[in-house]
Amino acid sequence: MYQRISLEPAYVLHQRPYQDSGLLLEVFTLNHGRVGLVARGVRKPKGRWQSLLQPFVPLLLSWSGRGELGTLVDAEMDGAACPLKGSLVLSGFYLNELLTRLLHRHDPHPELFDYYQALLRRLSPLEESGGQQLQQWLRLFEMRLLEEMGYALVLEHDVITGAAINTEINYSYQLGAGPVAVTEGLLVVRGRSLLALAAGDLAEIEVLRDAKRLMRAALDQQLGGRPLHSRQLLIDLQRTTGAAAAQSANLHKTEE
Amino acid sequence: MKQTSLIGQLIDALRCLPGVGPKSAQRMAFHLLERDRNGARRLAHLLVESADKIGHCSQCRTLTEHEICAICANTGRDRSLLCVVEMPTDVAAIEHSNVYRGLYFVLLGHLSPLDGIGPDQIGLDILSARLAQQEVREVILATNSTVEGEATAHYIAELAKGYKINISRIARGVPMGGELEYVDGGTLSHAMASRQLI
Repeated sequence: MYQRISLEPAYVLHQRPYQDSGLLLEVFTLNHGRVGLVARGVRKPKGRWQSLLQPFVPLLLSWSGRGELGTLVDAEMDGAACPLKGSLVLSGFYLNELLTRLLHRHDPHPELFDYYQALLRRLSPLEESGGQQLQQWLRLFEMRLLEEMGYALVLEHDVITGAAINTEINYSYQLGAGPVAVTEGLLVVRGRSLLALAAGDLAEIEVLRDAKRLMRAALDQQLGGRPLHSRQLLIDLQRTTGAAAAQSANLHKTEE
Repeated sequence: MKQTSLIGQLIDALRCLPGVGPKSAQRMAFHLLERDRNGARRLAHLLVESADKIGHCSQCRTLTEHEICAICANTGRDRSLLCVVEMPTDVAAIEHSNVYRGLYFVLLGHLSPLDGIGPDQIGLDILSARLAQQEVREVILATNSTVEGEATAHYIAELAKGYKINISRIARGVPMGGELEYVDGGTLSHAMASRQLI
């Protein structure tokens, strides 16, 4: 089936060199979901689109082709870029890695696209990552992603008894099913956290912690146990920053 | 199965070079065989020798046949400046411009989590050990102006913070002889944001 698509809103999720001067792009589009595209002649000294075909730049892409890979015909910027500062880029890579790993090609998710776009716009003015606000947004994005994939988490009732979640007790979250009221078990989450998560309100630090454990377990199940490299990189960065602070304190001490 | 002739194999082998398709590979093969056999022998000899002997400099990781490359071994260079680049070609580009007299560190790539490339794959453990020696006073981050290049620069900046070292990032802006009309929006916004008082 030959297709020609014009001026489709899109973001580059990932790019890698292809042949001498081309790029192989993985893009997330509004109406066509995740798509693989070949962009020829981009990496030449006077290559077109070089500055555009970067992650986190809102684009309008035109491509043609049949089968798995399309050929990029045109690219232009769609509104202002939302550059991410410092380690926020790594959080951006995390979003992109999730989308690349979990979405099937040519499976449209227009609402998720809008959500991703809105999230990038909100991340752009932030100065540094690690803030609670960022964590909340990432968790909500993860929840949204699972929902779009058809694996929405059951958060409002006990899956065995069918009773509404009680804020006062703990639940063991059975992946693939939902919360079960037990005193002991794997992945124990507070009832109030489940309800807060259902309402999308992660302002409390305890709720945020529960959400992080729950989302991580749910995503790991979908990822088939293969680790996320961008998550590892964020952990490495935190360790490096911590080590740098300790090192610097040491230097001060020796000077005194 | 069809036996490939020696000349066919040669043409095929030449195609491993970037930018060389079947047609230019054939032209090269015929040229070497018909017009320049000595050149062909010299090329063959050097290719074998290079492939066997050239490795990476133990200090800066650029390509060299020695333990330490000519730049790192040069005592006339400023050892307190360290310029971090992605590729050996970047070293060549900066050397060619003749403006820099310090040393280099070549990452041989950039951080790219979606390709599984993390800090250890680009030699940041070696860089860290180098900074710990306290010889370097300033690290100049000259990674590419791509999202991955920026992420790499940020990561190294965090790494270097622990060593009381000045950290700088090369400037971005309008190219020499460039007309504003033809400069892309991203570059222009960087140029505006990092404008200087004169």
